[in-house]
Amino acid sequence: MGFEKFGKFGYVSQTKVASIISFLEKDQLPATCCRKCKTLHFPPRADCQHCRSNSLDWVLLEGNCTLVTFTEVHFAPPQFQAEAPYVLGLAELNESLRVFAPVDPKLDRKMLKSGMKLVLRVTHGAGDSLFYQLESVKLSRTGK
Amino acid sequence: MAIIGVGHSKFGKRSDASLRELAFEAYNDAINDAEVEPSKIDGSVVCSATHYDKQRSPAGVVAEYLGLNPEPTFNVEAACASSAVGLRTAWALISSGLHDIVAVVGVQKMTELSSEEIQELMGRAGDVMWESPFGTTMPAYYAMYATAHMSRYGTTEEDMALVTVKNRKYGSKNPNAMFQKPVTVEEVLKSRMVSSPLKLFDCCANADGAACLIVANSEKTKKLSDRPVWVAGLGLASSPMALAGRRGPMTTFEVSKNAAKAAYEMARIKPADVDLAEVHDSFSMTEILNYEDLGFTKPGRGPKLLRKHETELGGSIPVNVDGGLLAKGHPVGATGASQLFTLVKQLRGEARDLQVDRAKIGLAQNIGGIGMYAVVTVLKA
Repeated sequence: MGFEKFGKFGYVSQTKVASIISFLEKDQLPATCCRKCKTLHFPPRADCQHCRSNSLDWVLLEGNCTLVTFTEVHFAPPQFQAEAPYVLGLAELNESLRVFAPVDPKLDRKMLKSGMKLVLRVTHGAGDSLFYQLESVKLSRTGK
Repeated sequence: MAIIGVGHSKFGKRSDASLRELAFEAYNDAINDAEVEPSKIDGSVVCSATHYDKQRSPAGVVAEYLGLNPEPTFNVEAACASSAVGLRTAWALISSGLHDIVAVVGVQKMTELSSEEIQELMGRAGDVMWESPFGTTMPAYYAMYATAHMSRYGTTEEDMALVTVKNRKYGSKNPNAMFQKPVTVEEVLKSRMVSSPLKLFDCCANADGAACLIVANSEKTKKLSDRPVWVAGLGLASSPMALAGRRGPMTTFEVSKNAAKAAYEMARIKPADVDLAEVHDSFSMTEILNYEDLGFTKPGRGPKLLRKHETELGGSIPVNVDGGLLAKGHPVGATGASQLFTLVKQLRGEARDLQVDRAKIGLAQNIGGIGMYAVVTVLKA
């Protein structure tokens, strides 16, 4: 239980990696790292598919990344219609892992370009929901 | 293994018919086409994306309604690629010797769901743990590939519109298509935004419909059919469901390339040998990516192939000359079989106004869901 807090609207409540929530609550971005083969997993996994080990440690990511692609969603699922249009992005973290995340609504969509530098940061949403989003490098430095 | 009979219902908003009745239309059409005794069919593979069906485990009711009890039946689900995977399943059933003649029935009833229900289902099309909680949609995933292709190769919204214009033009000559009216580039460009850069007319529509293939082993085929179409190549591949799990510049579907490689190898052909293709144009941009992924042109050159009219009737590789998903509509479970229906008609020279000259080798490519599955099938006359 507890994982339903993840995202703007959580569909899944039960998972072995539900403790991601306690990291997000501290504004930390956690991945898991396989103790055996050292593969880094993000989003975090409870099981390593390479060596089939379930001994993984939580490690923190910095969040620096490069935008790969994006879209502005106008036609949205029911739970998201109030905030449409909103932008979703795919970015490559410096750790060579990819992240799928919403783009900070404060970022001007016209400024978005594949290849631009962004930062993944934790955000507190409506209620007690928690997630991460892609933010401008500049905005992140000055805080919110 | 050969396809000895094909059937197709009218696609569209079929408020006159239930799921089982749509399946019957296509099945009956296929039985008449194959001129085979229904009692000779020793199994059925019912293909649908069952989350859209009111009926749980629809193979049960479909086999009953078609009169195929007590022979084996079961459901095959691979989202939008269900019935293309159904053909592969039939291949395994037949080449193992377990079955001689099998009915592959692709069927879907989507329009009786409320738009709320459809949107809710669409919201869970991606990875429900890590991506759906951000408000993903089916068009949004494909739109991200479109953004990447535009950014890397300079592909334009007008290029994408040309796909819809081409396919709607052919759809207007296909009596089974949902949309019978051609559209102009301006109309596509002015249609409302769904998920940038994809607009309404860049997207296929949910539909009701069914398509059926009667397949048989070589021995039965030689005995029963005077115009068989042979299954020469089968490719099926998978890709991570999570977009974040995929690599590369997002201008190509690795899953399609892998499926195509397997199908070309099995059929012992090259892309240039293909006389016509049915590709998965769930979105206009997807068709452009498919030209490249199937090897009809080089990466980034899809728009050029389209602009030179090479993918039209009379071109070097006619694509979706039945209207594709963009004109026919997309009754998810029926789409794969519908593509194969078109190839069979073409390879037999029965496609009337839409006939491709001297078509001997046809290729169908069907993508499942947001690109977790891709199927490439090669048929030979």
